Amino acid sequence: MLEVEVLTPEGEVFRGEVRQLSTRTEVGEIGILANHAPVLGALQPTTLRLHVSDSETRRYAQSHGWLQVFDNVARVLVEEAVPPEDLDAGALKEELSDAERRVAESEAGTAEWSRAVKDKQRAETFLSIAQG
Amino acid sequence: MASQKEVKNRIASIKNIQKITRAMEMVAAARLRRAEQRIEDLRPYSEGMRKLTRIASAHAGGVPRVPVLVERQNVQTVGLVLVTGDRGLAGAFNSNIIREGMRSADRVRGEGAGPVFSVVGKKGVSAMTFRKQELVGEYTGFTDRPSFADARRIGEELVARYVDEEVDRVELIYNRFVSPLTQHVWRQTLLPLQQAEVVGEGAEEEEEATAEDESGGSQGRSEWFFEPEAEELLGRLIPEYVTISVYRALLESSASELGARMTAMRNAAENAESINDELTLEMNRARQAEITQEILEVVAGAEALS
Repeated sequence: MLEVEVLTPEGEVFRGEVRQLSTRTEVGEIGILANHAPVLGALQPTTLRLHVSDSETRRYAQSHGWLQVFDNVARVLVEEAVPPEDLDAGALKEELSDAERRVAESEAGTAEWSRAVKDKQRAETFLSIAQG
Repeated sequence: MASQKEVKNRIASIKNIQKITRAMEMVAAARLRRAEQRIEDLRPYSEGMRKLTRIASAHAGGVPRVPVLVERQNVQTVGLVLVTGDRGLAGAFNSNIIREGMRSADRVRGEGAGPVFSVVGKKGVSAMTFRKQELVGEYTGFTDRPSFADARRIGEELVARYVDEEVDRVELIYNRFVSPLTQHVWRQTLLPLQQAEVVGEGAEEEEEATAEDESGGSQGRSEWFFEPEAEELLGRLIPEYVTISVYRALLESSASELGARMTAMRNAAENAESINDELTLEMNRARQAEITQEILEVVAGAEALS
Protein backbone atom coordinates (compact mmCIF):
# COMPACT_ATOMS: atom_id res chain seq x y z
CA MET A 1 0.00 0.00 0.00
CA LEU A 2 1.03 3.56 -0.73
CA GLU A 3 0.58 6.35 1.74
CA VAL A 4 -1.02 9.42 0.18
CA GLU A 5 -1.42 12.99 1.40
CA VAL A 6 -3.45 15.44 -0.64
CA LEU A 7 -2.82 18.94 0.69
CA THR A 8 -4.22 22.29 -0.40
CA PRO A 9 -3.46 25.73 1.05
CA GLU A 10 -6.91 25.63 2.63
CA GLY A 11 -6.35 22.32 4.37
CA GLU A 12 -5.91 18.60 4.02
CA VAL A 13 -8.24 16.87 1.57
CA PHE A 14 -7.14 13.26 1.87
CA ARG A 15 -4.75 11.23 3.97
CA GLY A 16 -4.59 7.47 3.93
CA GLU A 17 -3.37 4.34 2.23
CA VAL A 18 -4.24 3.54 -1.35
CA ARG A 19 -3.40 0.85 -3.88
CA GLN A 20 -2.75 3.25 -6.68
CA LEU A 21 -2.73 6.97 -7.37
CA SER A 22 -3.19 8.31 -10.87
CA THR A 23 -2.86 11.85 -12.11
CA ARG A 24 -1.19 13.78 -14.90
CA THR A 25 2.15 15.56 -14.97
CA GLU A 26 3.35 17.81 -17.75
CA VAL A 27 4.96 14.80 -19.35
CA GLY A 28 1.79 12.73 -19.33
CA GLU A 29 -0.44 10.42 -17.32
CA ILE A 30 1.26 8.88 -14.33
CA GLY A 31 0.22 6.02 -12.07
CA ILE A 32 1.96 5.50 -8.75
CA LEU A 33 1.95 2.12 -7.01
CA ALA A 34 3.60 1.14 -3.74
CA ASN A 35 7.41 1.28 -3.69
CA HIS A 36 7.61 3.61 -6.66
CA ALA A 37 10.94 5.32 -7.32
CA PRO A 38 11.24 8.93 -6.06
CA VAL A 39 9.43 11.41 -8.30
CA LEU A 40 9.07 15.17 -8.34
CA GLY A 41 6.62 16.46 -10.90
CA ALA A 42 4.52 19.43 -11.92
CA LEU A 43 0.85 18.46 -12.15
CA GLN A 44 -1.66 19.56 -14.75
CA PRO A 45 -5.39 19.95 -14.14
CA THR A 46 -7.01 16.53 -14.40
CA THR A 47 -9.00 13.98 -12.44
CA LEU A 48 -6.97 12.75 -9.51
CA ARG A 49 -7.87 9.11 -8.86
CA LEU A 50 -7.11 7.35 -5.61
CA HIS A 51 -7.79 3.63 -5.74
CA VAL A 52 -8.45 3.00 -2.08
CA SER A 53 -9.52 -0.61 -2.63
CA ASP A 54 -10.76 -2.79 -5.49
CA SER A 55 -14.27 -1.49 -5.07
CA GLU A 56 -13.57 2.10 -4.02
CA THR A 57 -11.99 4.84 -6.10
CA ARG A 58 -12.01 8.44 -4.94
CA ARG A 59 -12.05 11.11 -7.59
CA TYR A 60 -11.11 14.76 -7.30
CA ALA A 61 -10.97 17.54 -9.84
CA GLN A 62 -7.39 18.66 -9.38
CA SER A 63 -5.89 21.97 -10.45
CA HIS A 64 -2.23 22.78 -11.14
CA GLY A 65 0.14 21.58 -8.48
CA TRP A 66 3.02 19.35 -7.52
CA LEU A 67 3.68 15.71 -6.79
CA GLN A 68 6.40 14.30 -4.60
CA VAL A 69 6.87 10.56 -4.22
CA PHE A 70 9.49 9.41 -1.78
CA ASP A 71 9.88 6.48 0.59
CA ASN A 72 6.44 5.09 -0.22
CA VAL A 73 4.72 8.39 0.57
CA ALA A 74 3.05 10.33 -2.22
CA ARG A 75 2.39 13.95 -1.42
CA VAL A 76 0.08 15.84 -3.76
CA LEU A 77 0.22 19.61 -3.32
CA VAL A 78 -2.53 21.27 -5.33
CA GLU A 79 -4.42 24.50 -5.10
CA GLU A 80 -7.73 22.74 -5.36
CA ALA A 81 -8.88 19.16 -5.04
CA VAL A 82 -12.66 19.11 -5.32
CA PRO A 83 -15.00 16.11 -5.47
CA PRO A 84 -16.62 16.21 -8.97
CA GLU A 85 -20.13 16.51 -7.52
CA ASP A 86 -19.17 19.78 -5.83
CA LEU A 87 -18.25 21.47 -9.12
CA ASP A 88 -20.58 24.13 -10.50
CA ALA A 89 -20.74 23.81 -14.28
CA GLY A 90 -22.46 27.18 -14.72
CA ALA A 91 -19.78 29.07 -12.80
CA LEU A 92 -17.05 27.16 -14.63
CA LYS A 93 -18.49 28.13 -18.01
CA GLU A 94 -18.28 31.77 -16.99
CA GLU A 95 -14.72 31.31 -15.75
CA LEU A 96 -13.81 29.64 -19.03
CA SER A 97 -15.21 32.39 -21.24
CA ASP A 98 -13.55 35.01 -19.00
CA ALA A 99 -10.20 33.19 -19.33
CA GLU A 100 -10.63 32.88 -23.11
CA ARG A 101 -11.32 36.60 -23.35
CA ARG A 102 -8.18 37.38 -21.35
CA VAL A 103 -6.08 35.05 -23.50
CA ALA A 104 -7.32 36.88 -26.59
CA GLU A 105 -6.77 40.35 -25.09
CA SER A 106 -3.29 39.87 -23.68
CA GLU A 107 -0.09 39.88 -25.64
CA ALA A 108 1.35 36.40 -26.13
CA GLY A 109 4.42 35.75 -24.01
CA THR A 110 3.67 38.24 -21.24
CA ALA A 111 3.13 37.08 -17.66
CA GLU A 112 -0.47 38.26 -17.96
CA TRP A 113 -0.97 35.99 -20.94
CA SER A 114 0.50 32.84 -19.38
CA ARG A 115 -1.72 33.45 -16.36
CA ALA A 116 -4.78 33.55 -18.60
CA VAL A 117 -3.68 30.39 -20.42
CA LYS A 118 -3.35 28.55 -17.12
CA ASP A 119 -6.78 29.70 -15.98
CA LYS A 120 -8.27 28.56 -19.26
CA GLN A 121 -6.69 25.14 -18.93
CA ARG A 122 -8.06 24.72 -15.43
CA ALA A 123 -11.56 25.89 -16.37
CA GLU A 124 -11.67 23.61 -19.42
CA THR A 125 -10.62 20.54 -17.46
CA PHE A 126 -12.90 21.23 -14.52
CA LEU A 127 -15.82 21.86 -16.84
CA SER A 128 -15.34 18.58 -18.65
CA ILE A 129 -15.10 16.77 -15.28
CA ALA A 130 -18.26 18.51 -14.10
CA GLN A 131 -20.10 17.46 -17.22
CA GLY A 132 -18.93 13.90 -16.67
CA MET B 1 -29.33 69.01 36.71
CA ALA B 2 -30.84 66.67 34.13
CA SER B 3 -34.27 65.37 34.98
CA GLN B 4 -34.81 61.78 36.02
CA LYS B 5 -36.49 60.95 32.74
CA GLU B 6 -33.63 62.29 30.62
CA VAL B 7 -31.07 60.29 32.54
CA LYS B 8 -33.23 57.19 32.31
CA ASN B 9 -33.34 57.54 28.52
CA ARG B 10 -29.59 57.86 28.32
CA ILE B 11 -29.11 54.79 30.46
CA ALA B 12 -31.40 52.83 28.16
CA SER B 13 -29.47 53.89 25.06
CA ILE B 14 -26.10 53.13 26.64
CA LYS B 15 -27.40 49.70 27.59
CA ASN B 16 -28.38 49.11 23.97
CA ILE B 17 -24.94 50.09 22.77
CA GLN B 18 -23.43 47.80 25.33
CA LYS B 19 -25.54 44.89 24.09
CA ILE B 20 -24.41 45.50 20.50
CA THR B 21 -20.73 45.82 21.36
CA ARG B 22 -20.87 42.68 23.52
CA ALA B 23 -22.49 40.78 20.65
CA MET B 24 -19.85 42.06 18.19
CA GLU B 25 -17.13 41.03 20.59
CA MET B 26 -18.51 37.52 20.80
CA VAL B 27 -18.96 37.20 17.03
CA ALA B 28 -15.39 38.38 16.47
CA ALA B 29 -14.09 35.91 19.07
CA ALA B 30 -15.86 32.98 17.41
CA ARG B 31 -14.64 33.97 13.94
CA LEU B 32 -11.15 34.54 15.25
CA ARG B 33 -10.86 30.90 16.22
CA ARG B 34 -11.69 29.89 12.66
CA ALA B 35 -9.27 32.44 11.23
CA GLU B 36 -6.49 31.07 13.41
CA GLN B 37 -7.39 27.58 12.21
CA ARG B 38 -6.97 28.69 8.59
CA ILE B 39 -3.46 29.91 9.36
CA GLU B 40 -2.79 26.44 10.82
CA ASP B 41 -4.28 24.75 7.73
CA LEU B 42 -1.82 26.48 5.43
CA ARG B 43 1.23 25.20 7.32
CA PRO B 44 1.41 21.60 5.97
CA TYR B 45 1.06 22.87 2.40
CA SER B 46 3.74 25.54 2.72
CA GLU B 47 6.05 23.08 4.50
CA GLY B 48 5.46 20.59 1.67
CA MET B 49 6.30 23.26 -0.90
CA ARG B 50 9.48 24.12 0.97
CA LYS B 51 10.65 20.49 0.97
CA LEU B 52 9.79 20.10 -2.70
CA THR B 53 11.75 23.23 -3.59
CA ARG B 54 14.79 22.08 -1.61
CA ILE B 55 14.83 18.72 -3.35
CA ALA B 56 14.52 20.35 -6.77
CA SER B 57 17.21 22.87 -5.87
CA ALA B 58 19.57 20.14 -4.59
CA HIS B 59 19.30 18.34 -7.93
CA ALA B 60 19.26 21.32 -10.26
CA GLY B 61 22.56 22.48 -11.71
CA GLY B 62 21.96 25.94 -10.27
CA VAL B 63 19.15 28.26 -9.38
CA PRO B 64 17.64 29.45 -12.66
CA ARG B 65 17.44 33.19 -13.31
CA VAL B 66 13.70 33.42 -12.91
CA PRO B 67 12.51 37.01 -13.30
CA VAL B 68 11.02 37.20 -9.79
CA LEU B 69 14.47 36.63 -8.26
CA VAL B 70 16.21 39.31 -10.27
CA GLU B 71 16.88 42.49 -8.35
CA ARG B 72 16.66 45.70 -10.40
CA GLN B 73 19.55 48.11 -10.21
CA ASN B 74 17.52 51.12 -11.16
CA VAL B 75 14.37 51.30 -9.06
CA GLN B 76 11.92 53.79 -10.55
CA THR B 77 8.56 52.54 -9.37
CA VAL B 78 7.73 50.77 -6.13
CA GLY B 79 4.45 48.92 -5.69
CA LEU B 80 3.00 49.23 -2.19
CA VAL B 81 0.35 46.68 -1.30
CA LEU B 82 -1.77 47.71 1.68
CA VAL B 83 -3.82 44.99 3.33
CA THR B 84 -6.80 46.44 5.23
CA GLY B 85 -10.28 45.13 6.02
CA ASP B 86 -13.68 45.56 4.41
CA ARG B 87 -15.14 46.77 7.68
CA GLY B 88 -14.32 49.26 10.38
CA LEU B 89 -15.01 49.20 14.12
CA ALA B 90 -11.74 47.44 14.74
CA GLY B 91 -9.78 50.10 16.60
CA ALA B 92 -6.66 51.30 14.81
CA PHE B 93 -6.47 48.20 12.61
CA ASN B 94 -7.11 49.97 9.30
CA SER B 95 -5.65 53.37 10.08
CA ASN B 96 -2.31 51.87 11.17
CA ILE B 97 -1.92 50.34 7.72
CA ILE B 98 -2.89 53.54 5.92
CA ARG B 99 -0.42 55.53 8.06
CA GLU B 100 2.41 53.05 7.38
CA GLY B 101 1.49 53.10 3.68
CA MET B 102 1.74 56.89 3.47
CA ARG B 103 5.01 56.82 5.42
CA SER B 104 6.42 54.18 3.05
CA ALA B 105 5.34 56.26 0.07
CA ASP B 106 7.35 59.20 1.48
CA ARG B 107 10.36 56.95 1.97
CA VAL B 108 10.06 55.67 -1.60
CA ARG B 109 9.88 59.25 -2.91
CA GLY B 110 12.96 60.01 -0.80
CA GLU B 111 14.79 57.25 -2.69
CA GLY B 112 13.91 59.05 -5.91
CA ALA B 113 11.30 56.50 -7.01
CA GLY B 114 7.55 56.76 -7.47
CA PRO B 115 5.11 54.75 -5.35
CA VAL B 116 2.03 53.04 -6.80
CA PHE B 117 -0.62 51.57 -4.52
CA SER B 118 -2.60 48.35 -4.58
CA VAL B 119 -5.14 48.05 -1.81
CA VAL B 120 -6.93 45.10 -0.26
CA GLY B 121 -10.12 45.88 1.68
CA LYS B 122 -12.90 48.45 1.27
CA LYS B 123 -11.69 50.57 4.18
CA GLY B 124 -8.27 50.97 2.65
CA VAL B 125 -9.68 51.72 -0.79
CA SER B 126 -11.93 54.49 0.51
CA ALA B 127 -9.20 55.95 2.73
CA MET B 128 -6.69 56.05 -0.12
CA THR B 129 -9.23 57.41 -2.60
CA PHE B 130 -10.05 60.13 -0.07
CA ARG B 131 -6.34 60.97 0.05
CA LYS B 132 -6.47 61.31 -3.75
CA GLN B 133 -4.03 58.45 -4.32
CA GLU B 134 -4.20 56.58 -7.58
CA LEU B 135 -4.74 52.83 -7.10
CA VAL B 136 -3.49 50.30 -9.65
CA GLY B 137 -5.20 47.41 -7.90
CA GLU B 138 -8.32 47.23 -5.72
CA TYR B 139 -9.29 43.94 -4.10
CA THR B 140 -12.40 43.93 -1.95
CA GLY B 141 -15.17 41.70 -0.68
CA PHE B 142 -13.21 38.80 0.79
CA THR B 143 -11.18 40.05 3.76
CA ASP B 144 -13.50 38.21 6.16
CA ARG B 145 -12.53 34.92 4.65
CA PRO B 146 -9.80 35.15 2.05
CA SER B 147 -9.43 32.14 -0.26
CA PHE B 148 -6.28 30.95 -1.96
CA ALA B 149 -7.82 31.95 -5.28
CA ASP B 150 -7.99 35.57 -4.02
CA ALA B 151 -4.32 35.40 -3.05
CA ARG B 152 -3.47 33.92 -6.44
CA ARG B 153 -5.23 36.72 -8.28
CA ILE B 154 -3.35 39.36 -6.26
CA GLY B 155 -0.04 37.49 -6.36
CA GLU B 156 -0.15 36.88 -10.09
CA GLU B 157 -1.10 40.44 -10.89
CA LEU B 158 1.83 41.65 -8.80
CA VAL B 159 4.23 39.20 -10.44
CA ALA B 160 2.92 40.15 -13.89
CA ARG B 161 3.47 43.83 -13.11
CA TYR B 162 6.97 43.07 -11.85
CA VAL B 163 7.97 40.81 -14.74
CA ASP B 164 6.50 43.17 -17.32
CA GLU B 165 8.58 45.93 -15.65
CA GLU B 166 5.74 48.19 -14.56
CA VAL B 167 7.18 48.11 -11.03
CA ASP B 168 10.72 47.48 -9.87
CA ARG B 169 9.99 46.38 -6.31
CA VAL B 170 6.88 45.33 -4.39
CA GLU B 171 6.33 45.79 -0.67
CA LEU B 172 3.52 44.22 1.29
CA ILE B 173 2.14 46.03 4.33
CA TYR B 174 -0.20 44.15 6.64
CA ASN B 175 -1.13 43.48 10.24
CA ARG B 176 0.68 40.47 11.52
CA PHE B 177 -1.24 38.36 13.99
CA VAL B 178 0.66 37.87 17.24
CA SER B 179 -2.19 37.14 19.63
CA PRO B 180 -5.83 38.21 19.89
CA LEU B 181 -4.61 41.23 21.86
CA THR B 182 -1.56 42.11 19.79
CA GLN B 183 -1.14 42.83 16.10
CA HIS B 184 1.96 44.31 14.54
CA VAL B 185 2.11 46.37 11.39
CA TRP B 186 4.52 44.44 9.22
CA ARG B 187 6.34 45.44 6.07
CA GLN B 188 7.76 42.76 3.83
CA THR B 189 9.55 43.01 0.49
CA LEU B 190 7.59 40.65 -1.71
CA LEU B 191 9.41 41.18 -5.01
CA PRO B 192 12.17 40.53 -5.88
CA LEU B 193 12.01 37.30 -3.88
CA GLN B 194 15.02 36.60 -1.72
CA GLN B 195 16.75 33.54 -3.09
CA ALA B 196 18.03 32.46 0.32
CA GLU B 197 14.50 32.47 1.68
CA VAL B 198 13.17 30.26 -1.07
CA VAL B 199 15.84 27.68 -1.80
CA GLY B 200 17.69 27.89 1.51
CA GLU B 201 21.05 29.22 2.49
CA GLY B 202 23.07 26.83 0.40
CA ALA B 203 25.27 24.28 2.13
CA GLU B 204 23.27 23.75 5.27
CA GLU B 205 19.98 23.38 3.46
CA GLU B 206 21.55 21.20 0.86
CA GLU B 207 22.62 18.81 3.60
CA GLU B 208 19.08 18.71 4.88
CA ALA B 209 17.77 17.86 1.44
CA THR B 210 20.42 15.19 1.03
CA ALA B 211 19.57 13.75 4.43
CA GLU B 212 16.01 13.40 3.26
CA ASP B 213 17.28 11.67 0.13
CA GLU B 214 19.24 9.16 2.07
CA SER B 215 16.65 8.43 4.69
CA GLY B 216 15.11 6.10 2.13
CA GLY B 217 18.14 3.82 2.28
CA SER B 218 18.97 2.66 -1.21
CA GLN B 219 17.11 5.54 -2.88
CA GLY B 220 20.10 7.68 -3.72
CA ARG B 221 20.00 11.13 -5.26
CA SER B 222 20.50 9.98 -8.84
CA GLU B 223 17.33 7.91 -8.82
CA TRP B 224 14.87 10.77 -8.64
CA PHE B 225 12.61 11.25 -11.62
CA PHE B 226 11.81 14.83 -12.51
CA GLU B 227 8.89 15.78 -14.70
CA PRO B 228 9.90 18.24 -16.13
CA GLU B 229 13.66 18.65 -15.46
CA ALA B 230 14.77 19.83 -12.00
CA GLU B 231 15.88 23.30 -13.21
CA GLU B 232 12.61 23.94 -14.95
CA LEU B 233 10.64 22.61 -12.03
CA LEU B 234 12.51 24.93 -9.70
CA GLY B 235 11.89 27.84 -12.00
CA ARG B 236 8.19 27.16 -11.82
CA LEU B 237 8.13 26.52 -8.05
CA ILE B 238 9.79 29.77 -7.08
CA PRO B 239 7.02 32.17 -8.19
CA GLU B 240 4.58 30.11 -6.10
CA TYR B 241 6.19 31.66 -3.04
CA VAL B 242 4.72 35.01 -3.94
CA THR B 243 1.18 33.62 -3.87
CA ILE B 244 1.81 31.73 -0.65
CA SER B 245 3.23 34.89 0.97
CA VAL B 246 0.23 36.92 -0.15
CA TYR B 247 -2.17 34.25 1.11
CA ARG B 248 -0.39 34.13 4.44
CA ALA B 249 -0.57 37.93 4.73
CA LEU B 250 -4.31 37.86 3.95
CA LEU B 251 -4.91 35.21 6.60
CA GLU B 252 -2.81 37.03 9.20
CA SER B 253 -4.57 40.28 8.42
CA SER B 254 -7.97 38.64 8.67
CA ALA B 255 -7.13 37.14 12.08
CA SER B 256 -5.66 40.46 13.20
CA GLU B 257 -8.79 42.32 12.16
CA LEU B 258 -10.96 40.03 14.25
CA GLY B 259 -8.56 40.30 17.19
CA ALA B 260 -8.54 44.08 16.92
CA ARG B 261 -12.33 44.19 16.67
CA MET B 262 -12.70 41.93 19.67
CA THR B 263 -10.46 44.17 21.75
CA ALA B 264 -12.09 47.37 20.51
CA MET B 265 -15.57 46.03 21.23
CA ARG B 266 -14.61 44.77 24.66
CA ASN B 267 -13.23 48.22 25.51
CA ALA B 268 -16.40 49.81 24.19
CA ALA B 269 -18.56 47.50 26.29
CA GLU B 270 -16.47 48.22 29.38
CA ASN B 271 -16.64 51.91 28.71
CA ALA B 272 -20.41 51.67 28.39
CA GLU B 273 -20.48 49.90 31.74
CA SER B 274 -18.64 52.71 33.50
CA ILE B 275 -20.78 55.42 31.85
CA ASN B 276 -23.78 53.44 33.00
CA ASP B 277 -22.54 53.45 36.60
CA GLU B 278 -22.07 57.21 36.48
CA LEU B 279 -25.50 57.77 34.97
CA THR B 280 -27.16 55.52 37.54
CA LEU B 281 -25.51 57.56 40.29
CA GLU B 282 -26.72 60.75 38.66
CA MET B 283 -30.22 59.38 38.35
CA ASN B 284 -30.30 58.38 42.01
CA ARG B 285 -29.11 61.83 42.96
CA ALA B 286 -31.83 63.42 40.83
CA ARG B 287 -34.46 61.19 42.43
CA GLN B 288 -33.12 61.97 45.90
CA ALA B 289 -33.23 65.70 45.14
CA GLU B 290 -36.81 65.40 43.98
CA ILE B 291 -37.87 63.54 47.14
CA THR B 292 -36.08 66.03 49.39
CA GLN B 293 -37.83 68.83 47.56
CA GLU B 294 -41.20 67.20 48.07
CA ILE B 295 -40.59 66.64 51.79
CA LEU B 296 -39.49 70.23 52.21
CA GLU B 297 -42.70 71.37 50.56
CA VAL B 298 -44.86 69.17 52.80
CA VAL B 299 -43.02 70.29 55.93
CA ALA B 300 -43.25 73.94 54.93
CA GLY B 301 -46.99 73.50 54.27
CA ALA B 302 -47.52 71.85 57.66
CA GLU B 303 -45.57 74.57 59.43
CA ALA B 304 -47.63 77.28 57.77
CA LEU B 305 -50.84 75.66 59.06
CA SER B 306 -49.75 75.32 62.69
